[in-house]
Amino acid sequence: MTTRRAVLKGAVSSTILGLASWDVSAQSGARFVYANNSPYDNLDPHTVFDVSRAATRLNLYDGLYRWVDNPPKLVPWLAASHTVSEDGKVYSFKLRSEARFHDGKPVTSADVVYSIERIIALRKGPASHYLDVIKPGSTQAPDPATVVFNLVQPYAIFLATVPDMLIVNSALVKANEQDGDWGESWLARNDAGSGSYVLRRHDPAVGWIGRRFNDHFAGWTGQPIDEIEFRTVLDTSTRVLGLIRGEFHGADGYMPYDQIERLRRSPNVQVIEQEAMRVFGLALNNRKSLMNNVHFRRAIAHAFDYDGFIKNILKDSVSRNPGPNPNTIWGTPAGLRGYDYDLDKARAELAKVGEPLRVIGINALAGFSDSEQAAILLQNALRQIGVEAVVELSPWTVVLSRMSKPETRADIIPVWRSSFYIDPNNWVGELFGTRYHDSRSFSLYSNPEFDRRLDQALISRDHEERRKLYEEMTQMVMDDAASVFIYNTRWYGPYSRKVKDIRFSPVNHGQDMRWVSMSR
Amino acid sequence: MNWLSMIANRLLWFVPTLLGLLAIVFVLSRVVPVDPAHLAAGEQASSEQVQRVRARFGFDKPLPVQFINYLRDVATGDLGTSHYTQRPIVDDLASRLPATLELILTALLLAALLGIPLGVLCGLYRHSWLDHILRVISVSGLAVASFWLAMQLQLLFSMRLGWLPLAGRIEGFPPDMITGFLLLDALISGEGDLFASALRHLALPALTLALPAAASVVRFMRNGVISAIHSPSVAYQTAMGFPRWLIVWKYVLRLALSTTVTQLGLIFGFLLAGTVVVETVFDWPGLGGYAVRSILQSDYNAVMGFTLCTGALVLVINLCVDVLQIAIDPRGSA
Repeated sequence: MTTRRAVLKGAVSSTILGLASWDVSAQSGARFVYANNSPYDNLDPHTVFDVSRAATRLNLYDGLYRWVDNPPKLVPWLAASHTVSEDGKVYSFKLRSEARFHDGKPVTSADVVYSIERIIALRKGPASHYLDVIKPGSTQAPDPATVVFNLVQPYAIFLATVPDMLIVNSALVKANEQDGDWGESWLARNDAGSGSYVLRRHDPAVGWIGRRFNDHFAGWTGQPIDEIEFRTVLDTSTRVLGLIRGEFHGADGYMPYDQIERLRRSPNVQVIEQEAMRVFGLALNNRKSLMNNVHFRRAIAHAFDYDGFIKNILKDSVSRNPGPNPNTIWGTPAGLRGYDYDLDKARAELAKVGEPLRVIGINALAGFSDSEQAAILLQNALRQIGVEAVVELSPWTVVLSRMSKPETRADIIPVWRSSFYIDPNNWVGELFGTRYHDSRSFSLYSNPEFDRRLDQALISRDHEERRKLYEEMTQMVMDDAASVFIYNTRWYGPYSRKVKDIRFSPVNHGQDMRWVSMSR
Repeated sequence: MNWLSMIANRLLWFVPTLLGLLAIVFVLSRVVPVDPAHLAAGEQASSEQVQRVRARFGFDKPLPVQFINYLRDVATGDLGTSHYTQRPIVDDLASRLPATLELILTALLLAALLGIPLGVLCGLYRHSWLDHILRVISVSGLAVASFWLAMQLQLLFSMRLGWLPLAGRIEGFPPDMITGFLLLDALISGEGDLFASALRHLALPALTLALPAAASVVRFMRNGVISAIHSPSVAYQTAMGFPRWLIVWKYVLRLALSTTVTQLGLIFGFLLAGTVVVETVFDWPGLGGYAVRSILQSDYNAVMGFTLCTGALVLVINLCVDVLQIAIDPRGSA
């Protein structure tokens, strides 16, 4: 009884003391806490590939090369250098001798081979980059420091996609494989990387904590952060209040703009602004009846109030982007003019359609205000030109499932295209090439002339030739109004004022923590 | 009917009730226009690969067969694997259940501590200014949206006053658990700091759930007291000249409590539903947040597992309430 009383007494007195001295650790800056809008329910770098969970890939794992800064630069990372054969089909990478996995084992070419075989076998995450060009068993490791990729055909974007090929500790993953699952169950909640931080704790309900990896090959300078915590905080208001209060030191940079304005008023928060490469538009299903009529698509393109949407609804927080490629990358013809909002022109195009109209379905992404508002704005404008449209809000998984078949895919989907690698092929190529219809096509657009140029652009090693080809492809997509392009996103990274040296790139979204320092 | 036969009778009803619940959720989840095999296989999976996943999980079989297979697995304790966490659903639920129970039981306790005395006062001083004020407050409490209340409490206690943390169950990650109930674990291990931190984090989400529940308890307790005051037994005690406090304490409260206890069982179910919003706003790592994520990700197995788990919880709590009610008023067991 005495013991129980003592425990209770201790608990009560500690409660009182605790109330007086709350959250010292969070306010001292000893640890960086990032509030994320997606759950970290899976840490596998070959499975998870979305923007909102980039932190696990960037901080726990390394690739052969890495994208840094804005405009993005491709820098050697686990690889010290590479060579390409004359025919553009053989890529040889020399690995750094000093690179180690978190368990101390050296990173070798065998690990690279295992990683690419695993990516291809799982067919998730970054697999679509490689499925057409790397056959299982074709990658070689002639010595521990050399890895050779034998591509089926020349592939101009291969190097740009190499940062997505994150290298796992093959011995560790193999030891945890079950029934030929390539260690998928195990790697979902464990770390087998060589990245700048070592996984210390993971709870799918909470998030994860990483401890700085002192032996990382790139070394450390300045005042790096010793411990990073990426916590799931689904509610936007809670993330914002937590930043203002100092409980969190960073959060996602694509919040609604009214929340960004709220954060800007806080003395504790700095908002870092950068032009991202995340194009928002209306994906038009070119396969469906009426939607396959170029005049009808042009009518839609003229019926969207671009200025009203950007200036009035989004308060100029984004930049008008007239074409499929972000404004900040090559591959768009100089002076490209997008469609303008003109209902008379829309009616004129509608008059040329030459077939009966029908009700159009707009499938907006539930919970994403830009997508929802764009859908409603378009619906109103279409009504004014005599086209009835029905707006349906669905979670992304529903939209995605419907996209798997042309007949179930909605007529119009207001959606973003993020940057997975920095090349116009990431946008105009993948969104409109017939070869990508099964994976990432925006619109199921099919044009033999476009595809011929795309095929050439993917094998050419001449940058100027590629630039010309992508510019021509962009112009074709514009002429055919294959989709409607609205804006390029600006990234508003909210961080505590204690945080310094954030290096944003359109691929890392400000979540690559090895560069960041923090005052104590 | 004695206690044991009553409990046995209730337990027998568990099976058809849970079966019905599972059947409804199973059909509803299949109506959603999502291909679970496609989601599980990955966005870029080939059609052959999607087919393999479909066959592996049995999604290629007719719906009745899928349902029977699911029931067979459930009977062996296998709720399937989450497509997203890659973990058995049982593990996912077990790791989150204590957090939700801790939140709900605290809210229920707060609601009872607040609602019962206020309800008694309202009943005893019917039509007084106190009664009118409390009735207005309780009606408002029932009408208020929990997400709005949650944000107002955050703004007041976390942002303006700085007394309580904004979100989370504890500062940083929880330590290794003994029971999974942080308050209890802290007491067992004698860690005062942990207890204090857990209590501070628990305060706002529990209050958000408790306030509307307390409003409901006030109304039921008030009605119970009024009804008890007008009962023949209380009239008899009054006529016998017993002091008012004794009549209230010994007879009125007992009669009024029996209906309120039943209400507490129902409130448990409402609180469980309320956790879906409250856990999301307060970043509470429990079942409610898990349900939201599973629904948004169309993780069928996880949604079914959540439904089964919460359904069973409500049934067990209602059984406990029935037993408690008999303890308070043994006439009910007759």
